[in-house]
Amino acid sequence: MRGKSRFLALTMILLLVMSQLGSALAQDSVTIEWWSVAGNELPQEAQEAIVTAFEAEHPDIQVNLTILPESGYDERMTTTLGAGEGAPDVALFWNANWYAQTLDLTPYLEADPDLSPEDYFENFWINWATWGDKVVGLPLGVGANFVMYNKAVFDEAGVDYPTADWTPEEYIEVAKAVTDTEVRRWGGDRPRGPYRAIWMNYGAFPYSDDSTMVDGYFNSEASIAAYEWLWDLVDSGATPTPADIEILGTEGTGPIDLFLAGRLAMATLNQGHMLIAVDEGVDFGIVPEPGFVDSQRFVNAWSLTASIWSGTENPDEAYEFLSFFAGPEGQRILMEQGTLFPALPAVLDEYENADTDYAQAFFSVLEDTQVAEWTAGHPCWRGAVIRSVQDVWDLINLGEISRDEVTTTINDYIDEAQASLEECTPRLGG
Amino acid sequence: MNQTNPALAQPAHNKRKNNDGIDWQRVQRWVGTALVYVLMTTLALIFMIPLLWMLSTSLKTRPEIFAWPPEWVPAVPQWGNYADAFNSYPLGRFMANSMILVIGNTIGELVSVPLIAYAFARLRFPGKSILFVLMLSPMMIPGHIRLIPLYSAYLRLDMVGTYWPLILPSFFGNPFFIFLMVQYMRTIPRDLDEAARIDGAGTWTILYRIILPLCIPALTIIVVFTFLWTWNDFLQPLIYLSDFETYPISVGLAFFQGRYSVEWNMFMAATLISILPILVLYFFAQKQLIGGLSTLGLKG
Amino acid sequence: MLSTWRAMNPMARREALEGYTALIPWVIGFLIFTTFPIIMSIYLSFTEWTIIEPPTWIGLANYERMFTRDPLFWQSLKVTLLFVAFSLPLKLVLGLMLALLLNIKVPGMNFFRTVFYLPAVISGVAVALMWMWLLQPDTGVANTLLAAIGIQGPNWFWDRDWALPSVALMSIWKVGGSAIIYLAGLQNIPPHLYEAAKIDGANRWHSFWGITLPLLTPTLFFQLLIELIDSFKVFTEAFVITQGGPLKATYFYLYYFYEEGFRNFNMGYASGLALVLVVIIILITVFLNFTSKRWVYYESD
Repeated sequence: MRGKSRFLALTMILLLVMSQLGSALAQDSVTIEWWSVAGNELPQEAQEAIVTAFEAEHPDIQVNLTILPESGYDERMTTTLGAGEGAPDVALFWNANWYAQTLDLTPYLEADPDLSPEDYFENFWINWATWGDKVVGLPLGVGANFVMYNKAVFDEAGVDYPTADWTPEEYIEVAKAVTDTEVRRWGGDRPRGPYRAIWMNYGAFPYSDDSTMVDGYFNSEASIAAYEWLWDLVDSGATPTPADIEILGTEGTGPIDLFLAGRLAMATLNQGHMLIAVDEGVDFGIVPEPGFVDSQRFVNAWSLTASIWSGTENPDEAYEFLSFFAGPEGQRILMEQGTLFPALPAVLDEYENADTDYAQAFFSVLEDTQVAEWTAGHPCWRGAVIRSVQDVWDLINLGEISRDEVTTTINDYIDEAQASLEECTPRLGG
Repeated sequence: MNQTNPALAQPAHNKRKNNDGIDWQRVQRWVGTALVYVLMTTLALIFMIPLLWMLSTSLKTRPEIFAWPPEWVPAVPQWGNYADAFNSYPLGRFMANSMILVIGNTIGELVSVPLIAYAFARLRFPGKSILFVLMLSPMMIPGHIRLIPLYSAYLRLDMVGTYWPLILPSFFGNPFFIFLMVQYMRTIPRDLDEAARIDGAGTWTILYRIILPLCIPALTIIVVFTFLWTWNDFLQPLIYLSDFETYPISVGLAFFQGRYSVEWNMFMAATLISILPILVLYFFAQKQLIGGLSTLGLKG
Repeated sequence: MLSTWRAMNPMARREALEGYTALIPWVIGFLIFTTFPIIMSIYLSFTEWTIIEPPTWIGLANYERMFTRDPLFWQSLKVTLLFVAFSLPLKLVLGLMLALLLNIKVPGMNFFRTVFYLPAVISGVAVALMWMWLLQPDTGVANTLLAAIGIQGPNWFWDRDWALPSVALMSIWKVGGSAIIYLAGLQNIPPHLYEAAKIDGANRWHSFWGITLPLLTPTLFFQLLIELIDSFKVFTEAFVITQGGPLKATYFYLYYFYEEGFRNFNMGYASGLALVLVVIIILITVFLNFTSKRWVYYESD
């Protein structure tokens, strides 16, 4: 009996010591949850390399990387943030609707001797890292839309390459000139929706800057001109039909495959497509989307926002990791091992192919005014207002109305657009 | 077997030879069978067009997919696309994970559904019709509305990151299967239970010894559909799993859709590979589905 | 219910108790997986909830907007009802016809059964893309074949009148899935009935109407309810292919719900939308359940 109880007591003590030791060890090391996606820009291996490099520098912090499929990332994040629990410490907050649950980085950046907002592209910082007075995250990579043209096709058709100062009308002319219906080759493609770069280059916005009025904006001269331009483009026959565009660019990836196959002479694509075209050996050039010399030039550009969740239990460690991942070290690794174009000018300068024509053209587009400058401050534009006037777009795109009817059709939808704007602004602001 | 078939039944007493020595009954049957084959083959071809196109796409090079005019048969079939699909992601691992989920869900449904269905189909109790409509109601609720509340619940239970949220619900019975089973059980004559009851069998004995053996076709459907739905379910595993190594094939396939482009040929190849297990299961399950007839025929 | 209980004899009470016992797993599941989310949704439908920030109580405002000044609500309801009315009868009849064909016992039928099941097996983006390819207006397989017999094919998904039928066509293509359930139902019809009918001189047409169809009514009722619910919940096609267009011709109810909830982060309103849908389907279900007593034949009753 006695021997047994002594053995028991000893075991108990041993267990106690071990558990104390265990928890002491556990307290020393903090695990940061990090949610991300994998792809050309952010290869899984490169992200793992970042973790390894970070953990080597910070032996007391462990990083647990979760790779989610891109097509489900939004649902996963929204569900977790909606539950208010169990969200990761660090994640890509690429949807502006999530910003309310990001940790304000202002105090951390102020205390950080190594990283400051000035290290990033200014316009990307403003549009993709700040939200009101809050710093919601760090911009990861830079991306933009521009027009890519296939030089071989242009040469064959004997048409001059487009230049950066071209107008929307010239876009249609060029597209018509390189179209060859016999081999089913189209000159250009159609925009995916209104009020992006070309609309804004016309000076057209869906509603007033203070988010109160649709009348006088959606049906302004500039706006009607942009819609009439779309009508002309559809009418020219120089673009694939909506059917072709959707089939060949499913899931919003853009008509890159048609472009690579030489069946689309010009297309509005992005830097990811540009690198694919380089890999596939297509000889191409890059120009910005068409605009007007005497007015402001807009570009549809973006950055992924990497943020800390406001509910994190280890904000300091999370910041350590975030500033490494989306700071110079991390973005350099992603540039070298992936296809990311860093959002830090100093790191982007190290890009190995920086002196190529395509890279130079891409870099110059990044300096234009961003569409996001307007859209970020007007959260009701797409989900509410544009949706309510989607019919106008469809009617023109399907070729169901004549050019004269464009103005009247636009005017027909003013009331509906105004109603949806008024419904939305109390909710989302504007 | 032919005798049991309404379309081809040729009862023996009708069979007689004509004076000219030709067995007209037999000719008629041959013509009938031939017609069936022609009809089925034509229909099958129409149904197969989208799948043949998938197969064709999976064997093309990237430029070929978007070439014009489109070709059904690629110049050089790229069987390597299948190998590439396997090499780019651990498809085997993903499918094995799916299989674990399938087994768990199948056990769950087979344990819960017959019991619940039996109560609705055979036992009399107050409030049954209201409970029956309530039982069906989960099917009417959009899945997305339940995401956030259930996620919170599983977080509290500390089950997020495990397979439990993906398996546990099956042990409480899927309304689709319960309803199916209820309808099936109700077509079984009550004389059978009454006879057993007279022999002294209790309620549960009747269920497991008398009724369930007669429900093999319905049970087969449960297995086949549980397999199919678990295999294809994307949303639930997406929400609850975090470790790449634990992803099922439905989530795995989503990795082929990139941010800027989709490798269509590899994506199609992977999709086609992923459905093979379902087809193999179904091919063999048919025996239980159609074969149920003979068992019942003997007893009935 | 208590008075019913008192009026029951011990045998009936025992049976009722056994019934409740058998339902225990279902009740637990129902409370966790259905009641809890539904109660939460009911609460949320009276709030404005951006998902990311806590909900704020707004009373009946969501429902007021829905019923009085939301054209999209009515449009999505109209489109969905049209789809149900159009595709449901087709799916029921074609599924049964296919099952009757697949039930013919000739060698090699296993193969055909697998072939027709195939479309029900593949899901998601790959299939959607295949259909877009097939129904491409100029070069798609469908219109090429139609042109061969001298018919000018429509613009399918890209035509306001044809978009909805195109989506219906896609769902009918998957009819092999429901044919399996008919097949199982067909197995339960005792063969001796056909033999007896034959002796009485009935032909196949008569046997079908006199034996097959009446005895298949439990399966038909099942299919009717299931396909009805399924048709109301049509979503993926709009989500992947049409985005609700063109001209909101495929702006299905659940697509609207999804857009409001998960794209526009207007989850309070989306919860209201979901509940209205549940109420609509429950009402139809109760009605059908009520009529079923007149036309569904159960061997056991």
